[in-house]
Amino acid sequence: MQQSVSVEINGIRYDEQVPIRMLLVDFLRDTVGLTGTHVGCTFEGVCGACTVHLDGEAVKSCMMLAVQANGRAITTIEGLAPKGELHALQKAFTARHALQCGFCTAGILMNAAEFLKENPDPTDDEIRHALVGNLCRCTGYSHIVEAIRDAAVEMRK
Amino acid sequence: MGHPDLNWVGRELNRKEDLRLTTGKGQYFGDIKLQGALHLVFVRSSRAHALIKRIDTAAAKAMAGVFAVVTGAELKDKLKSLPIPVVVPALPARYPTFWPLAVGKVKFHGEPVAAVVAKDCYIAEDAAEAIEIEYEDLPYVAGPEEAMKPGAPILHPGWDDNKIFELGFTGGATPESVAQNETEVDRLIREAPVAIKRRFKVHRTGVTPMEPRGAMANWDPSDGMTCWVTTQRPHIDRLALAEILDIPTNQMRVIAPRDQGGGFGVKAPFYREPILVAFMAKHLGRPVRWQETREEHLMCVSQERDQIHDLEVAANKDGKIIAVRDRGLGDVGDGCEGVYWGFLMPFLGSALLPNGYDLPRCDIKLKCYVTNKSALSPARSFGSFATRFAMERMVDLVARAVDKEPADVRRLNLFTQLPYTTATGVYLDSGDFLKVFDTLTAKIDLKKFRQEQADARSKGRYLGVGFGVGAELSGVASAVLVPMENQPGFGAATVRIDPRGNVQIFEGDAPLGQGHETTFAQVAASELGIEPEHITVTTGDTGTTPFGSGTIGARGGSYTVSAVANACRHLKTKMAKILAHDLKLDASPADFDFASGMVTYRKEPSKQKSFRSLAERIIMAPLNLPAGETAGLEYTAFFEAEVPMICFSAHACVVEVMAQTGQFKILRYVTAEDVGKMINPAIVEGQVQGGVVQGLSNTMFEEFVYDDNGQQLTSTFESYKMATAADVPHVEVTDACTPCPHTPLGTRGLGEGIPGPVPGALTNAVCDALTPFNVDIIELPLRPNRIWQAIREAQSAKRAS
Amino acid sequence: MYPATIDHYLAPKTLQQALEALSLQHDGDAMCIAGGMSLMQAMKSRLVRPKTLVDLQHLPGINSIQFSPDAIAIGAMTRYAAIARETRLHGAYEALNDAARHVGDRQVRNRGTLGGSLCWNYFAACCPATCLALGAEIELASLDEKKSQRTRRIAIGDFLKGPLETARRSDELMLSIRLPAPPRNAGSAYKKWGLVTDAFPVVGVAVYVEVNASGACTAARVAVCGLVSGPKRAGSAEKALVGKSAKDQGAIAAAFQAAARELDVQADMWASPDYRRMLIQELGSEVAHTAFQRATGRK
Repeated sequence: MQQSVSVEINGIRYDEQVPIRMLLVDFLRDTVGLTGTHVGCTFEGVCGACTVHLDGEAVKSCMMLAVQANGRAITTIEGLAPKGELHALQKAFTARHALQCGFCTAGILMNAAEFLKENPDPTDDEIRHALVGNLCRCTGYSHIVEAIRDAAVEMRK
Repeated sequence: MGHPDLNWVGRELNRKEDLRLTTGKGQYFGDIKLQGALHLVFVRSSRAHALIKRIDTAAAKAMAGVFAVVTGAELKDKLKSLPIPVVVPALPARYPTFWPLAVGKVKFHGEPVAAVVAKDCYIAEDAAEAIEIEYEDLPYVAGPEEAMKPGAPILHPGWDDNKIFELGFTGGATPESVAQNETEVDRLIREAPVAIKRRFKVHRTGVTPMEPRGAMANWDPSDGMTCWVTTQRPHIDRLALAEILDIPTNQMRVIAPRDQGGGFGVKAPFYREPILVAFMAKHLGRPVRWQETREEHLMCVSQERDQIHDLEVAANKDGKIIAVRDRGLGDVGDGCEGVYWGFLMPFLGSALLPNGYDLPRCDIKLKCYVTNKSALSPARSFGSFATRFAMERMVDLVARAVDKEPADVRRLNLFTQLPYTTATGVYLDSGDFLKVFDTLTAKIDLKKFRQEQADARSKGRYLGVGFGVGAELSGVASAVLVPMENQPGFGAATVRIDPRGNVQIFEGDAPLGQGHETTFAQVAASELGIEPEHITVTTGDTGTTPFGSGTIGARGGSYTVSAVANACRHLKTKMAKILAHDLKLDASPADFDFASGMVTYRKEPSKQKSFRSLAERIIMAPLNLPAGETAGLEYTAFFEAEVPMICFSAHACVVEVMAQTGQFKILRYVTAEDVGKMINPAIVEGQVQGGVVQGLSNTMFEEFVYDDNGQQLTSTFESYKMATAADVPHVEVTDACTPCPHTPLGTRGLGEGIPGPVPGALTNAVCDALTPFNVDIIELPLRPNRIWQAIREAQSAKRAS
Repeated sequence: MYPATIDHYLAPKTLQQALEALSLQHDGDAMCIAGGMSLMQAMKSRLVRPKTLVDLQHLPGINSIQFSPDAIAIGAMTRYAAIARETRLHGAYEALNDAARHVGDRQVRNRGTLGGSLCWNYFAACCPATCLALGAEIELASLDEKKSQRTRRIAIGDFLKGPLETARRSDELMLSIRLPAPPRNAGSAYKKWGLVTDAFPVVGVAVYVEVNASGACTAARVAVCGLVSGPKRAGSAEKALVGKSAKDQGAIAAAFQAAARELDVQADMWASPDYRRMLIQELGSEVAHTAFQRATGRK
């Protein structure tokens, strides 16, 4: 069954007809065409590659239906920074080589962006704990922790 | 303008890939859309071993939006089966016949049995559910020991038993020399002052990437077949697909997406699924795509390791190992997998068992059996995760037996004179192993640690340190890869300089996170004296790139990058010759420097021309060229090192173990690396940190589990647990490099073997911490409940004695 | 991977609308979605196939914690993240902070709800056991024959039945989880052990104690999760803790040894029964110690 959904994504409103069972992540990737958010697991919702912001909070978009986002605002990786600019985290991740294949990166950036709002001066242990919901296979996490630490310093300025 | 002395090799340049990957603009397989593409979903066997009695597809076919439903019985007369030569090693093994869908019987839980092609993936899943399959169960062959029992059910029709592969790795080429070697090793073991025997078991685990697999195919009657595949080896896949589908290779194009979410070997085999996707695309005349789910992935691929090694070692009282006898047993699953057939990993693992240790007398044999599990697929530390574990534990056991510092026993046994060929025929070309190991022990201040350890022990705290080393393949020479995989090992790169002095590099291998776009640009920039931003790298499209066997075995930093360097040098020679001619100089190409965007005659620096205008002159105004020279600046270099090459690393792990619960904390993990000349130290560090964490995660958390009926229980990330950032330490990486004499830049490839030393280092650390309890852990995974159990067993054994 | 077809999605804005939707359902094929952290897994794996989904996200009045002089009412839709941050639970009910802080990961904590966790009652979940130890009461709403709202309260021990089973009828909606005003001399704690950080527990133990002026325990509740039969109270440990204080290390250890003997522990791929028993003892002792500290106000 189809249902209409009206949702703001990265500041733009979308009014679409979607199957009720359509996952939010598929809505973002296929209906809206924003493919920066990735799918890395099946139904378990463990890997975190699909993390976006729902009204500013980091959530896993594979664990929501598109219809649940009706009337709400989503931010994806494409909207993390205003057009033409880079978020402090994006700059730090590049500077610290905090990504290799990049598949998990968008999810980590979105999670970290909210985390740093909640905890602007975290310890490394707190950063690692905040990343429990994002699996990375390539980097071993060290550079990611360093990048988040650097971005935190930058964002406190 | 750049600094005149700037050399881009050795610099921590920010990666060019990162702008798009941090802003959601990557182009992964899942992001590539074709208009009108249909979706293919596999129906997979719910049984471990069964005859297929009936498949009822009527309800599925009748559903709206379903274009096709296909079974193995329908396929087998329309499609060639494997094996086909290009994906069969030149090794004496049995190669099972198989199609992309099961024919007649199923051999593991998850084997593809049928496929649905539908309008979208939701409908395809609905239709797949509507397919009814009737099975007649056969007994489950649970492992190699069951597989080898007389009267065991035979997996593959026509085979008389379940042994897929057997090989002896030592003792020369004739039965006489082999027998003589066996006798000699046996004698040495019997007469040695120290002889230790253990049965090491390493579980089924692997290095699953964050991006699952996918394949999409489009058949055009005039252009032929184009396939996008998540693959490390597009050129090999192209040859194999062309053969199976009976399409001429000039009508077959395979494209590895520009961005791929990790491979680590998992995306190297020639798998069933892309074959069927391509076949259906041609059959239906519509593009067809398949996106693997994580559940399919964990059920069917990424399973590696799973070896048992009965290892015996003889040593002198000083700890020098004098003989090694190993009998390896591999559980390779059903073995139905192109290129690797499940057994190639244990094969290489046994060949690499001697590691970097000077072990002239070895008797090493391996047997691999097929079982009712998914075939093993490659993982980093290809086959050698298990043999490194066994050997590294054994070295510590020798140290304990002779009451010596384990680090010193390693020093005593590591090679000091290279090159050397091990007893298994592995050529170790160059490197200073002691320098690497000593760098490591200095970094962790071993002497100080031993004092801290003793002090802690007196207070009832259990600290320990463990070591592991790895002499790993740096690329795979043709001399090794042709016999092993029937594929060449050369690295190839095309360098094309354009009339504006910008450069394109084309390589046929497909990176999945290694940073080739950056490292190759750094190399070319250094060679040509221009900035990396002027260089773009195109990879993985068989339509536009030279042949490469794939991103396997650390080829990138050893072979492919060498081809890039050589191609640049060829073009530099040409450019210099032409400039000398234009400037009327009696000079050789070696008299010219390429730096800061200029080509300069060293003896008279005022005689120079910009790189850009020289390129323009040679391509756009190719008049008055020196005799024998032609227009154009494009060259493809093929690099083959004169000998097989290695890289070397040494790892140290420091832990504290809570004896009460068996839980432990890794306090420190340090490595020392010889990767030759580093192109980008940040990338090297990232590779090592990632590989170590993969090794830790494999050792502690990950395990593919099949129950007593062959049901695979670990097909989600809830049950197949991977390390999170909170579970692993920061990994400290230290440079102890010796340039490689066989590559143009002195680089070595790294990445492939990094997890190898990890299980030994970690387990040795735990056993070292628990020395007062005398625990001897020889099985993986290493988990608190097992450590706790080992402590209790050791304590009750002590009480009994 | 994808849910089966869903015919109706409702997002009621009032409790009345929600209850009417639930009372209209046929054959129980309507399900409520709260945070969705468990339900979405079940829907995507097609373990459940609701034809109608009732989304509770817009319901007013049930998504925050209300503190009044004689009770604390945690709205059923209160997210784990909010519970984790709530400092007014410190001391007597701090076990809830402990549990909520370590459910899943921070993305899960932004979405998952306490009510959802209790209604789903997964055998290994942390919150049902924690609420069991805190002696919570569940408030449920439904409609009578005249379509008027009514509520009932049920003790958590009666609410939680076997794994994935509760006493909630299909026409009922959980409104709140109620706790009595915290006694000044009470403390609670929760800790779990799983193979990776914040995984579902192999064993989790929640302890609640009340102490007298000299720090001796006058009442105790102990609940254990990770057992295949669901969260269980350990009566033997509760009895053994009465009269003991924090310095009675040996007695506390003995109390949890008794619990380990009393409870039915399973073998599975994560741990043997013996290891689970050891975890009950070790975690229990540690958690009891923390609960005592919180009860006596000591850090």
